[in-house]
Amino acid sequence: MNRSQEKQEERDEVVVLLADDGEIGDASRERHREEPEDEAESDAGTPDTGGAEDGGEAGERALPGDGVQRDAGPAEIDEQAPQEGETGEEAQGDGEAGAEVLDGAGDVDENDGNEKAGGEEDAGSPGDRMRETPLPDAVSEALSSALTAVRAGVTDLGFGLDIPGAEEARRVRSEILAQLDDYVIPRVHTSTAPALVVVAGSTGAGKSTLLNTLANAKVSATGVRRPTTGTPVLACHPDDHEWFAEGDLLGSLRRLSEPDPEAASDGLVLVSTERLPPGVALLDTPDIDSVVEEHHEIAHRMLDAADLWIFVTTAARYADAPAWRLLRLAKERGAKLAIVLSRVPAKSREVITKHFVRMLTEYGLGEVDRFVINEGKVTDGMLPDHEVSELRLWLTELSVDERRREQAVRATLDGVLNSFRTRVPALAKQLEIQVAFRRDLRADVESAYAQALVEVDKSTGDGSLLRGEVLARWQDFAGSGDLMRTLQLRKPGRLAGKASHQAPERLSALRSALRTGLESVVVSAAQRAAEEAASRWSNRPGAQEVLAAAAELGQASDDLPRRAGRTIAAWQEHITELIRTEGVTKRSVARVISFDVESLSLILTIGLLGYGASEARNGTGALPQRLVHALLGAESLRNIGVKARSDLRARIGMLFDDETARYIQALDGAGIPDESAATRLYQATYNLEVAR
Amino acid sequence: MSVGTTQSRQGLGSRLAALARIVELGPGKVDPKLLTESGQLLLRAGDRLKLSSDHTVVALAGGTGSGKSTLFNSISGLELSPTGVRRPTTARTHACVWGLDGAGPLLDWLQIQWRHRFARASALDRGESRLHGLILLDLPDHDSIRALTDSEADRLIQVADLVVWVLDPQKYADASTHRRYVTDLAGHEAVTVFVLNQSDRLDEEELAECVADLEDLLHREGVEHPVVVTTSAITGAGVDDLKEVLAETVSRRRAATQRLEADLDRLTLRLAKVMPADGTSAPPSSIDDARRIGLTDALCDAAGVPAVGEAMENVYAARSGEWVGWPYTRWAAKLRPDPLNSLRLGDLRDEIRSLTGGSVSAQPAEVDTAVHALADGLTSGMHEAWQSGIRDAARSRSAQLPQVLSEELSEVAPRLDRVPGWWRLLLVWQYLLVLLFVGGLAWVGTALVYGVFGTGKPPAGLEVFGDAASLPWVGLMMLSVLGLGLLTAMASRNFIVLGSGNERDALEREMRRRVAGLAESMVIEPVERELTRYNEFNSAMRSLRG
Repeated sequence: MNRSQEKQEERDEVVVLLADDGEIGDASRERHREEPEDEAESDAGTPDTGGAEDGGEAGERALPGDGVQRDAGPAEIDEQAPQEGETGEEAQGDGEAGAEVLDGAGDVDENDGNEKAGGEEDAGSPGDRMRETPLPDAVSEALSSALTAVRAGVTDLGFGLDIPGAEEARRVRSEILAQLDDYVIPRVHTSTAPALVVVAGSTGAGKSTLLNTLANAKVSATGVRRPTTGTPVLACHPDDHEWFAEGDLLGSLRRLSEPDPEAASDGLVLVSTERLPPGVALLDTPDIDSVVEEHHEIAHRMLDAADLWIFVTTAARYADAPAWRLLRLAKERGAKLAIVLSRVPAKSREVITKHFVRMLTEYGLGEVDRFVINEGKVTDGMLPDHEVSELRLWLTELSVDERRREQAVRATLDGVLNSFRTRVPALAKQLEIQVAFRRDLRADVESAYAQALVEVDKSTGDGSLLRGEVLARWQDFAGSGDLMRTLQLRKPGRLAGKASHQAPERLSALRSALRTGLESVVVSAAQRAAEEAASRWSNRPGAQEVLAAAAELGQASDDLPRRAGRTIAAWQEHITELIRTEGVTKRSVARVISFDVESLSLILTIGLLGYGASEARNGTGALPQRLVHALLGAESLRNIGVKARSDLRARIGMLFDDETARYIQALDGAGIPDESAATRLYQATYNLEVAR
Repeated sequence: MSVGTTQSRQGLGSRLAALARIVELGPGKVDPKLLTESGQLLLRAGDRLKLSSDHTVVALAGGTGSGKSTLFNSISGLELSPTGVRRPTTARTHACVWGLDGAGPLLDWLQIQWRHRFARASALDRGESRLHGLILLDLPDHDSIRALTDSEADRLIQVADLVVWVLDPQKYADASTHRRYVTDLAGHEAVTVFVLNQSDRLDEEELAECVADLEDLLHREGVEHPVVVTTSAITGAGVDDLKEVLAETVSRRRAATQRLEADLDRLTLRLAKVMPADGTSAPPSSIDDARRIGLTDALCDAAGVPAVGEAMENVYAARSGEWVGWPYTRWAAKLRPDPLNSLRLGDLRDEIRSLTGGSVSAQPAEVDTAVHALADGLTSGMHEAWQSGIRDAARSRSAQLPQVLSEELSEVAPRLDRVPGWWRLLLVWQYLLVLLFVGGLAWVGTALVYGVFGTGKPPAGLEVFGDAASLPWVGLMMLSVLGLGLLTAMASRNFIVLGSGNERDALEREMRRRVAGLAESMVIEPVERELTRYNEFNSAMRSLRG
């Protein structure tokens, strides 16, 4: 593990040699690699013959530079056990020599050369003169106001409906919010703040041990229990302590002086140590893959706030799926990354390292800074210091070279802001989907009830209501002569308008039969509509939860029959009133005949409901119409008929509106903002781009 | 095979039969995914029980790098499965069989490739007779990036009789192991063993802490009594303990059924979660009388049966007046001016008359409400899926029901405008009496003309009519005739009222009977069929619970 100071000074660039000196030794040894131990894995693809080996090496050589795709996946790579014995020591010896002759080593070792190329690209590409000054105030101001707008926009979002993608959107929303609060906004305000290096990785990978070793003090607990670290630990130089203690970075976390299990999810242990270089703070995070899921969340939150990521994995874990998920995330975010492969058994070091490098290269991460740490005896939570010397140098470099640090910080910030370009509109898109889905759900309900209203309209107009009890009561009313008794001749001497009041039983029986009939039509239509709406919803994935939250939605509401009854009774009153006020009796008739308004209103109702509609129309119309027509005249009849009909429709419509309101309420309970939130978010994203 | 095994196989058999019944009755009621899984379990159980019961399939499962292959090799005593430091190492499952007889089909079923099957020859078996019948599988890992696209480990973990989870101090708390498998396997204690491998990496104190932590973790995940063995495949420590555990399992020959039982238990729990038992009071498969009567009443109301009866009674009474009433009152009424006539609507009277000839019909909306009310009353407390099942069954024929009801009732409903024969007789009788009265009038006239005023001699043969002395008698006779007419009218009127009252009762009874019959065949029978299915399902659930 070493670096070339001369080279760096000459070319004003940093070359980090990740492959340690052992690699040089390995490289030479690989040319006469030993026979693999195991022949049983015969289907693994590559027979272990010398020729194939050569081919493999050739591929390897070509690989880093031109990105040749290897067809042999990691899984299929046959087993090549390292030569046992003193190779590690040999490597060590070689390495010490190699430190002096680095240029030569670079020539012989393709890996090494590759690293150099990577280093050049990292440090050199933006040109010789980097802007070291923080952003101009105006830009920063515009940027932070744009960010505030994005933040407000994201805060407004809600994804209440569990359609596919909603869960993800909710997660992304809280991630973006936390990232804005913990990292982006503070970082934009003070871009010269110390760089925060977050150490992340699997449980048991040795993150805490690494931190302890670098800090040269037991700042983070280590142990055999998995998972070990629950509360993140931030270690920094004493000069930076104040900044981290009071700064906005990770501002939502409580600062603690020692781990407190109570505050695991919102605490941050802050320690300072002279061993760490100033300007660089190390953050030890909980794991990303243990059974304690809160840890994953905290770890990801820390990573969201990181300026640089140090990803720690081990020889036993480097192929684990969660590890690669994290690496992919880093790649997507464009975060500055360094990878530490720890706990490597000395004797199989080069095999593992080569394999890991190959996997990384396939993943497009071949140029990332890498460090290898041998498995060693851990004493008091620390490794022997020489294991991490290279990493320490890397950190020191970061600390001394402010420009490079600045650049790393900018790169990560840019990466995050770039990610907003897609992540924020994706959220807005998801919101639009939710809004559209809600609209669909509303439309489902509304069309179901509109259908019900049409049904009610139809069955109150075509005489189908005049069945059963209504019909029998009507026959009773007409056949027993009560119908005739409605009309009274005015006799001289009697007071005008004093119609005789007949026996009320049959009249009220007919009236209540009509009410019951209408009521049952309304209730049964509403019931069907409710079932229809519920079944439409349950056929839409994502609406079931809303439906489950309000179980009564599949049924008409409990008090509907009562309300429907009241509505119909009120309507009947209304008809009576209409006849009384608007039914101007023909003058010629009024002289000789008086009538009972109550009875006439019932007769009119029977007519309205379509009595005789099914029978052949012989021009004169059916009995009730003719009677009312004769008494009140054609115009009155028409007026009253139209008014009564539209009044009935309006009343039932109101009933159904109350019914639909239950669904709307359930939907609103899910909590989705309206479409303008999405528009605002698009606008905010655009503004953010402009501000950058 | 011991007696206990046979018994447990029988128990398993009946539970599997219950599961089959659930799969049969389940569609539409239970989540299809769960049903598919149940079907798969049935298939798997059927296959496994058919195959060798003398062999026990033990799978070594775990994350990459935990030392499954090394452990596999050290148990088998041969370097069968390649080991190494590159991750992931094993991509294909290796199998080692102790006692090959009859294991072939089982290995075929497990889909182990031929070249990865190894058998411990009898020569090597010496001292390992206790492991006879063991099929040891070395699975690929389940947590590396390779495993994302390969479900082999998943598949074999699902079918192995005994799963040995190989953990190591670094990875023992990985979410990939615990969340995906162990939590699922709660209840599988009897067929799950946890091995903490690589114990050589820790000192004694650390190892104890590690084991305690692992056991604690497993407890929290619902594994009540985890079997935890610490091994070091490198140094060989603990491998014999593991062999002992395996030998015990193998010699009992019960792991296969225990595994299936555990799977059944888990499935049962999930089924019970979506289909909770409805307590002890399962609804009877038949509908009780109260509900039947309730339904009949509601349907009668929908058809207006009480109103029809009442209307019949009233209309009869009103109309009978035209036939059996006292003719004089009728004539007097006709003399009164008619409002209809004054509206020039005289023909309406006929229409009103014809109106009473309408037939009985049922109100569809009310029929629907009645049927719905029945289903609602029955299903309270039932699971949603069954509620709607019973509702659908009740409604299965409710579209035709109003029509059928109307037709059926029209058959019995009397025409309200019919005229019984005796009404006509009475009419004749009344007219006869009127005739007599008119005759009497003529007699009185004659007697007055000839007898009282003596305006001449009455024609021959009519002397008797001219006799004034007959006047009181004739008057008496006329009064009697009037009185007789009145009496007859009143009596027959009362008679009609009484008779129509009786007829109404009979009519209502008949109508009710018919409505009840229709309700039975068109509503209650489908509902009872569904209720029977429901109860069968419930009892299958109960026997599944064992």
